[in-house]
Amino acid sequence: MFARLNVLRQYCLLSGRTANFFQWTKDSTQIKYFFSSSVPHSTIFALSSGAGKCGVAVIRLSGSKSSYALKQLCGKVTKPRTASLCKLMNPQTQELLDRALVLWFPGPKSFTGEDCAELHIHGGPAVVSAVLTALGSLSGLTPALPGEFSKRAFANGKLDLTEVEGLGDLIHAETEAQRKQALRQMEGDLNQLYTGWRTGLIKSLANVEAFIDFSEEENIEDDVIELVTTSVMKIQTEMEAHLRDSRKGERLRDGVHAVILGEPNVGKSSLLNFLCQRPAAIVSPLAGTTRDVVETALNIAGYPVLISDTAGLRESCDVIEKEGISRALDRAEKADLKILVLDFEVHGANLSNVDFPTFLSSYLSDMRLYQNNFREADSVHDSPSNSDQSLSFDQVPEDSWEVLVVVNKSDLARVSDLKQVSQHASGSVCFVSCKTGQGLDRFLHVLAGRIKDLCGDPLTSSSSLTQTRHRHHLSRCKQHLEDFHNLLSYDVVIAAEKLRRATRELALITGAVSTEDVLDVIFRDFCIGK
Amino acid sequence: MMMIKLKCRTSWSVCFALKRHLAHSGRAYYSNAAERKNENTFDVIVVGGGHAGTEAACASARMGVNTLLLTHKLSTIGEMSCNPSFGGIGKGHLMKEIDALGGVCARICDKSGVQYKMLNKKKGPAVWGPRAQIDRELYKRQVQEEVLATPNLTVRAAAVEDLVTQEGPSESGSSVQCCGVVLDSGEVIPSSTVVLTAGTFLRGSINIGLTQRPAGRIGDEPAVGLARTIEKAGFTMGRLKTGTPPRLDKRSIDFSCTEVKPGDERPMPFSFMNETVWIKPEDQLPCHMTRTTDQVAQVVRDTLHLNRHVQEEINGPRYCPSIESKILRFSQKTHQVWLEPEGLDSEVIYPQGMSCTMPEEHQLVMMRAIPGLENCRIVRPGYGVEYDFMDPRQLKPSLETRLVANLYFAGQINGTTGYEEAAAQGIMAGINAACQVQAKPPLVVSRTEGYIGVLIDDLTTHGTNEPYRMFTSRAEFRLSLRPDNADIRLTSKGYTVGCVSEERYQRMESMRQKLKENLELLADVKKPTNKWRTSLGLPATTDTNLMSAQSLLCNPLVSLSTLAQAWPSEFGHFLQADPHLLDRLDIEIKYSTDIASQ
Repeated sequence: MFARLNVLRQYCLLSGRTANFFQWTKDSTQIKYFFSSSVPHSTIFALSSGAGKCGVAVIRLSGSKSSYALKQLCGKVTKPRTASLCKLMNPQTQELLDRALVLWFPGPKSFTGEDCAELHIHGGPAVVSAVLTALGSLSGLTPALPGEFSKRAFANGKLDLTEVEGLGDLIHAETEAQRKQALRQMEGDLNQLYTGWRTGLIKSLANVEAFIDFSEEENIEDDVIELVTTSVMKIQTEMEAHLRDSRKGERLRDGVHAVILGEPNVGKSSLLNFLCQRPAAIVSPLAGTTRDVVETALNIAGYPVLISDTAGLRESCDVIEKEGISRALDRAEKADLKILVLDFEVHGANLSNVDFPTFLSSYLSDMRLYQNNFREADSVHDSPSNSDQSLSFDQVPEDSWEVLVVVNKSDLARVSDLKQVSQHASGSVCFVSCKTGQGLDRFLHVLAGRIKDLCGDPLTSSSSLTQTRHRHHLSRCKQHLEDFHNLLSYDVVIAAEKLRRATRELALITGAVSTEDVLDVIFRDFCIGK
Repeated sequence: MMMIKLKCRTSWSVCFALKRHLAHSGRAYYSNAAERKNENTFDVIVVGGGHAGTEAACASARMGVNTLLLTHKLSTIGEMSCNPSFGGIGKGHLMKEIDALGGVCARICDKSGVQYKMLNKKKGPAVWGPRAQIDRELYKRQVQEEVLATPNLTVRAAAVEDLVTQEGPSESGSSVQCCGVVLDSGEVIPSSTVVLTAGTFLRGSINIGLTQRPAGRIGDEPAVGLARTIEKAGFTMGRLKTGTPPRLDKRSIDFSCTEVKPGDERPMPFSFMNETVWIKPEDQLPCHMTRTTDQVAQVVRDTLHLNRHVQEEINGPRYCPSIESKILRFSQKTHQVWLEPEGLDSEVIYPQGMSCTMPEEHQLVMMRAIPGLENCRIVRPGYGVEYDFMDPRQLKPSLETRLVANLYFAGQINGTTGYEEAAAQGIMAGINAACQVQAKPPLVVSRTEGYIGVLIDDLTTHGTNEPYRMFTSRAEFRLSLRPDNADIRLTSKGYTVGCVSEERYQRMESMRQKLKENLELLADVKKPTNKWRTSLGLPATTDTNLMSAQSLLCNPLVSLSTLAQAWPSEFGHFLQADPHLLDRLDIEIKYSTDIASQ
């Protein structure tokens, strides 16, 4: 009762991206009630293909009056699920609007679950506009709001929330890998995973509830709580593994954030320009040319990358340059991947003398960038946090630390020196010359490999977390499960409440949960009745 | 919408006259002594003398409203028609809430129980379930005494055949209003409101084996006319079924091969008004437990073709199923059979769990296949009941029907099962019918305030497709809706509306005050952790952070009495305190942190 208004409001918010949907907390049983009782009343239509001149445009309709609209425009309702060539007439003037391919999908076997129709018409703006106007003139037909088709599909149980999100991502996918991931999600991949956990938790919850409501003097097995503990533990372990995926799916969805860092005039902007294949940043022999962050979106080997060129790091008295450096450090903190550019002339000798990780560690420290923070360093957990630092890297998960070292100006080195140095340094160091192009292919290859590692392969067996929203709810779910174990011996009722909340968190990702779900399991699995 | 046809032409004028009068005098009517002298005019008529009916009639009368209780037979008022027990998990919660509103059943159970047991004692106080085996006769007799002694309440034995209604807009927006009842004699009794608690009597039919006969409970008349009237008024009806086990002669049972299940050593009363129950702990009667055998299952399977009730596609309860459905659905198991006494002087044993509908001669064969019952005699066979119920989604949260104003439905007629569920609806319907008469807004308990709220909200918004029973898992706010604090949750609400006595209200207020003071004291007294621990003989620590006594008490090793002994200056008063207060303090502390986050 108390949640219903809230749910109504949330329901109305569901349009396009669903990230903020389902924030309700209490009494999710109401959602079912609400959906089952709210049949969308109007029939909606919209241009579903892109705007602008094109060969074919597709107008989609959904709702009970779709057949009426077809009759009005084509004079008949065409054969279901078959493309039929029809003349589209203006229902008022009987004037010919266009010749179109018409598809009729009677509900519930349609995208939205309602009666649907598609009009494939010629793509000229005037044609599209004339047909849309004609549809708008019919009573009971209204233009669709953004995301309204998906919303109806969701409300009618055709898609769950993760699938709606997958669909949204598929529409927005710009690279091949993103497309694959979104498609998997839309096909219900994540839904299966989360629903599987949810089903497991509901079953466990039902067992606990049965233990609470019936075990005394009724036929509930004594080991029911042990079974629950084992089953919850298993889900918890799987969930932890899923959460430990280094944000691969989210990176692939949102793009990998890479930042180019280094001292002034080492060739950072040249490297950016090489990656963009265009002069995105101004390049000059003067130190401190780049003062602000220059950001470019790239597609590297099918993966989306957002790459930032930054101001060279040095002590400076120039106010503007100082601000630029501060922004560079800020960007470095948030980045998934750091590309550190060194000058061969300056550091070539160091590279051949000392152990490379030791050098890098002390170099980064000297740059006041950070310390002990890249993967090779063993002492990550032991190092006391340096309060003097402008960055607090110890708060960032260790696995987000990725440094790719690029040594530029290798054209200035003698071939023998270069050979010796590259043998000394580890494989993750690339020796390049932005001037001659030497080593850049290898750099690109290494970079692509790193990015691929960061995103994961969307076609491998385990599906990835794609949205921060999911991570948020999963983390909370995991926390509740831990509390459940800890509280079980203290008070089974409080423990059950934690399990209930854990289940609710999962439901918030995929859809609804109701107490009836729990009771249904209880009555299916137990013989109740003293 | 269809108008209910009147049986008696003269009732029109009576009805209109009454209504006109009400419209003019409004609220003043109920307190008008001269008016009340008209012995054939009532503010609230309650139809049915079961658990819903008695609570409804007593609640409305407590509120000072002139009330008439109509029942087939005066002797069946307060009858426990099925199992000889009250309370349990979830059901006990409902009883505490009924009591908090001044209800009848909890107080009478404290005076008629033969065995008291707190269920779920090991599982956290939020789900403790007070339950008692009741002496049927004692219970019935005392309910009748209470009903007959209640001021403003008239009781009359009569069969109600129809409702009197009139068309015309009411305040609540319904176009039809109920304004009285018609008895089977044709007599019309006008009233402002009617509460219908017809139980399983609406087109009830009894099934044993292949025979089916129309009836309510054995020996009572089914209310066929009333069911037809309700249907004609446009209400959607559904059909449900339930059953009851055969009753056994105690003297024919060999208890030596059963497990003895005694009552609690410290029986806890149901009512907040009582410190103790009437019976001495050692005088309590035991229950006994035995189990079904393969032979029982065999009899069930062999007699399926003779068992009309089981074959039918009507929804029965999933949680109080017949032995037939238990065996058909869970064939691999043996099932528990509880042998429950029906009273101190009764020679009848109620075999809980053995509800069945097979022909009587097979019932005997089946019962005798159970250890301890080898030579048992059946006093009365088990049977099944099918009955009409009203889709409760046609009710407002006040339990007034949406279709007919001033008409309230309560109890099994709304699709519930169990005495406690019926009583809970009864008290709410009675209170709200009286509120209507007194022109007060209805009393609605929300889901956050009580199991009564959960029950009524579930029924009126979701309806039900099986006999609805209360479980603690239905309550989202289980941690705060506890049996121990029902008075704090509901008594002032009831006092405001007028269904709670001054005495009960003062008692609750005093308890609330004491709880508040002591909880504040426990939260305010803070000492270094190490100091607490050494004083209580707990393993030492170097932690010198301040800790409140309340946080300290979250440690299961610390109790209020150990605290009182160690720190008599602050907490010495706990040693002499009311044990109920200490119990309640313990529970409040235990749940204080988690309720905040619920």
